[in-house]
Amino acid sequence: MAIPIRLFLCTYPFRGFPMRLRATGITKHFGHRPIVKDVDIAVDAGEVVTIFGPNGAGKTTLLKILATLLRPTSGQLEIEGTAALTDSLNVRSALGVVIHESLAYPDFSPYENLKFFGRMYGIAQLEERCTTLLAEVGLNRFIHEPLRHFSRGMTQRFMIARALLHHPSVLLFDEPFSGLDAAAKQFVLQRIARERAEGKGIIITTHNTELGYLAGTRFLFMINGELEAVARKDDIAMGALVLLYEERVVNLV
Amino acid sequence: MKETLRHIGTLIRKDLGLHFRSKETLALIFVFSLLVVLIFAFAFGPVFPEKAERGKLTASVLWAAFIFAGIITLNRSLTLERTSGALHGIRLTGVDASNFYLAKVISNLIFLSLLEVVITPIALQFLDLLNLVTVGVLLKLMGVLSIGTLGFCAVGVLLAGMSTSASGGESLLSVILLPLVLPIIMGGAKCTVSLLVNGTVASGMWLNLLVGYSLIFLAAAYLLADAVIEE
Repeated sequence: MAIPIRLFLCTYPFRGFPMRLRATGITKHFGHRPIVKDVDIAVDAGEVVTIFGPNGAGKTTLLKILATLLRPTSGQLEIEGTAALTDSLNVRSALGVVIHESLAYPDFSPYENLKFFGRMYGIAQLEERCTTLLAEVGLNRFIHEPLRHFSRGMTQRFMIARALLHHPSVLLFDEPFSGLDAAAKQFVLQRIARERAEGKGIIITTHNTELGYLAGTRFLFMINGELEAVARKDDIAMGALVLLYEERVVNLV
Repeated sequence: MKETLRHIGTLIRKDLGLHFRSKETLALIFVFSLLVVLIFAFAFGPVFPEKAERGKLTASVLWAAFIFAGIITLNRSLTLERTSGALHGIRLTGVDASNFYLAKVISNLIFLSLLEVVITPIALQFLDLLNLVTVGVLLKLMGVLSIGTLGFCAVGVLLAGMSTSASGGESLLSVILLPLVLPIIMGGAKCTVSLLVNGTVASGMWLNLLVGYSLIFLAAAYLLADAVIEE
C-alpha cells in the first residue's frame, strides 16, 4: 500500500538549535541477545521525538540507556555536549525521567518525596517549588498521602512532577500515556507541549500512535531493536502515520 | 565537599525517616532480638552458672541477636531502594555511588546502635550480669559493639546492594555475608567476653582484629560501591 508521505532520514534534528542529546551507535546485549541494535538518535531544544514501537521492541531499554541508568554494550552518548557515559554524574541533573517505576519511595508522600529529591538536587526555595509543582500536576489535595495509596494516573502525575522538579533540559518519557484516563492523557499532552515551548528536548516512547503523534514533532519507529526514521510532523498526517505504523509494525506480529 | 556532605546528610535523614516510618522493621528486629535473649535466658536460667560462664553466654547471645537483626535490617534497607526504582531516582540526582554507600552504612549503623542500646541492658539483666557490670564497662561494651556493627554494615550494605537485585536475594545475603564477617564476629565476641568477665579488653589481638577488619572492609567496600551500585 502506497503511503503519501515523504520518508527521509531524520535521525539528526534541525540545525541551528542547541543539541540537547545525541546518541550514536548504541547497542545493548542481554547475554547474547541483542535488544538495541546500533541506534542513532538526537534531540534538539524545543523538539519532541516520539518513538513508536510494539512491546519488546527495545524502547524502554533504549530510554534507560539515554537516561544513563543502563550502560550500553557499545556506542556514544552526549547530553548537553558532555560525554554521558564517562561523566554520567555531571549530566544526570540535566535529565528528567519518567519510566514504568515511580523512582520514589512509596511510604513517603509526594511532598516528602519531592522535598527529598529536591534537597539532593540542591534546589533553592524548595518548599515553594514542591507545592507549586504538585498544584500544577493536580495533586495539591493529596500532598500528604503516601504514594502507595495512589492510583496509576495519580502516580503518573507525581512522576511528571518529580521529573520536572529540578528544571531539566532533557525529558525522557517512557509510555507516558499508559493506564491513564482521558483527562490525565490530556494533562500529559499539555505538559509536554508546555515543556517543549520552554525549549526542552523531549523523547517519548509509546505504542499509542494518536497520542504519540499529538505530542511529537518528529517520529521514529523502533522494531526489533532497530530505529527507523519516519517523518517530521509537518510532513505526515496522523492518519498516514497510523496506517504506516500498522503496516510496518502491527503486521509484523 | 559541601555537596558531598549535603548528599550524605539528606540520604541519612531519609533512611532513618523510612526506618522509623515503617514500624514493621523496627518491631521485627526488636522482637527478634528480645526473643533470642529470652530463649537463652530461659534455657540457661533461672540459676545461672558462675560469672565467667555468664560472660561467655551473654557475649554469644548479644552477637547472635545483633548479627541476625542486622541481616534483616540491611535486607529491608536495600529492598526499599529497589522497590519502585527509588535507587534509579537517587542515581539520577547525580549523587556519587560511594556517597550513597557511605550514607547507607551510617544510617544502618545508627539504627542498629539504637537497637543495641536498648537490647544490651535487657540481655545483661536477664542473664544476671547487670548488677556486676559498671557504667564504664557498659560504655566500653557499646564501643566494641559499635565497631563490630560498623564493619558488619560496611560489608553488609555492599552485599545487600548486590543480593537484593537478585532473585531470592534475602536468603542469599545471609549465605554470602556471614562467612565474610566471621573475623568481625570472632573479634567482637572475644572482646565482649573479655569485657564482661574481666572488665577490660585483655588481649589486644582480638580488638586489633575487630578494628582492623572493620576499617579494611569499610575502605574496600567504599571503593567497590561505584561498580556495585552503578551496575
